[in-house]
Amino acid sequence: MCHSRPNPYLQKHPSEAEETMREIIAECESAGHSHGLAAGLALALAGVDTDAAPGPFAALPATAVPAGTPVLAHPMAAKEGISFVRTRRRHVPAELHTGIAVRLGAARLGTTQRLYERAVEHLSARTSGGEPTVRKQLVQGVLADTHVGLEVARRGLRIAGHAALTDLHDRLTALDWELAKLLGASGYAGEHAVAGAFVSRLAANCWVPRDGAA
Amino acid sequence: MTTTLTSGLRELRGQSGELAAELRSIALDVDADPHNRERLRSSETLELLRVVGTPKPYRAYDVPRWAEQFTETCLGRVVGNIELARGDAGVLNAVAAPSLAGFTVDALGNEAQQEFFYRELAQNRPWTFFGMTEPAHGSDATAMQTRLEPDADGSFRLHGTKRYVANAERGAIGVVFARTGPSALTIRAAVLQRPAPGFTGTTLDMLGLRGACLGEMGFDGVPIAPEMVLGRHLPASKRGLWGANRAFNVVRLQIAAQALGVAYAIHDLVREERPQWTGHEVVSARLHAARELLYDVALEVDHSPDDRRPPSIAKLHTTNLAVETGRWAESVLPPGALLQHPLLEKWCRDVCAFEFMDGTGNILRLMIAPAAAPRREGP
Repeated sequence: MCHSRPNPYLQKHPSEAEETMREIIAECESAGHSHGLAAGLALALAGVDTDAAPGPFAALPATAVPAGTPVLAHPMAAKEGISFVRTRRRHVPAELHTGIAVRLGAARLGTTQRLYERAVEHLSARTSGGEPTVRKQLVQGVLADTHVGLEVARRGLRIAGHAALTDLHDRLTALDWELAKLLGASGYAGEHAVAGAFVSRLAANCWVPRDGAA
Repeated sequence: MTTTLTSGLRELRGQSGELAAELRSIALDVDADPHNRERLRSSETLELLRVVGTPKPYRAYDVPRWAEQFTETCLGRVVGNIELARGDAGVLNAVAAPSLAGFTVDALGNEAQQEFFYRELAQNRPWTFFGMTEPAHGSDATAMQTRLEPDADGSFRLHGTKRYVANAERGAIGVVFARTGPSALTIRAAVLQRPAPGFTGTTLDMLGLRGACLGEMGFDGVPIAPEMVLGRHLPASKRGLWGANRAFNVVRLQIAAQALGVAYAIHDLVREERPQWTGHEVVSARLHAARELLYDVALEVDHSPDDRRPPSIAKLHTTNLAVETGRWAESVLPPGALLQHPLLEKWCRDVCAFEFMDGTGNILRLMIAPAAAPRREGP
């Protein structure tokens, strides 16, 4: 589904700033979808310095970590091309965090979309009780719900404010888990385990502010 | 009104809570390197649990009275598992106990087979394995392809592959299910020891609960002596999968208890981080209610061990609750909390494992949902 095409039935065309933001969102999603979380994160953090993270850690593409910078040991993240570094937190305008949360949300949306496609492929190749697993009603229900969740999240990125973005990231985490479950144990152990979904959650935990958390 | 535990079970709960501290102390090390056998062997708690998990006649030494209650009833197992997993479920799953293989030998083995299996455990303290799941038939055990083929001399040869098996690489004795014919009734279990010709095992990297050491086992014509095939003394309908149903019920409930234990661990961490905060009350109540559910279900299983619905209800609920509790912790702690608290990060990975152990959520839903409206009583 296209997410940046102008709608001729809308009375108000998006402003130039809105149009630019939509293009950035689409680019981040595309990078996450086509090339994975690290590529999406690189776009999401373009021009952002590490110390802008709202917490004590920043998630970065491994390739963006300056030489000699201590990196938190996390083999699972390393496999996904993501590194965690300590920050020297500094105050930044809320709009900066909002922008990061939107772009990171788009990158995560791309990886979730990729996981959705992988789940459909996996379920289509398996049979259970003599029937393709993808046709089982319980499975179809999850696929339908996650598909709807993806479409809603994509629209949410356009309009979400600060608090709603935190919720949107939490919903992406929940969608990832619903999809990972469809892969069965193969999504949890072995060469095809979906480590990326968990690392995606950790990246959001580093970059998305949480009002009211103490 | 909450379920009242006997004084013995209350003591089991308290003592298990103390043992949990030792599990917690090595939790991150086991997560980082689950294959370090010396670390696991030197754990006094795992050693005690290994002995407690072995039937009394085969124990190398006596255990305290409170510990015996751990395996005497399902309720004891639930009480103990919640508290132990509250320490750390990853380490708890690294115990070299009879586990599911033991339950199966108990259910399907004759006296000589039980003697052989448990003597081996008592003498060599091996990790055990339970080969049921296959790469292409995760949730559909009746479709398994592993074959137990008769040899001319009356023995058997085992062919096939099992995947997602705990201790697949380090386990030295265990049980493997295979079919001797086309129908589901021909599925049988056999005791298998390592090393054996044609028997291979590899470990799979896991996202969490790494102490379980899931892996893959391959069987290329592994010789099986006829006396190692379980259930020969039982009626045909009780020799295979159906005969082991009671064992699966107990294990399912244990997994449910472990999921709740990890949820409590996460909850405890949040409360330590936010000591004056009262916003935990809803989640606290949900966890306590889940514990009540597990206690009630355990009593049901003790009275009706063949009913598969109650343990399925318990596991479906607590596995979801544990995942949700991890997300709740993330939502009420500051940004970066998952990396700031490595145990929290680990537990958020660990809780996902329970979904795939002994019945996924969808399999449990199919077991729980009624197939038809109940019959009306009377005219």
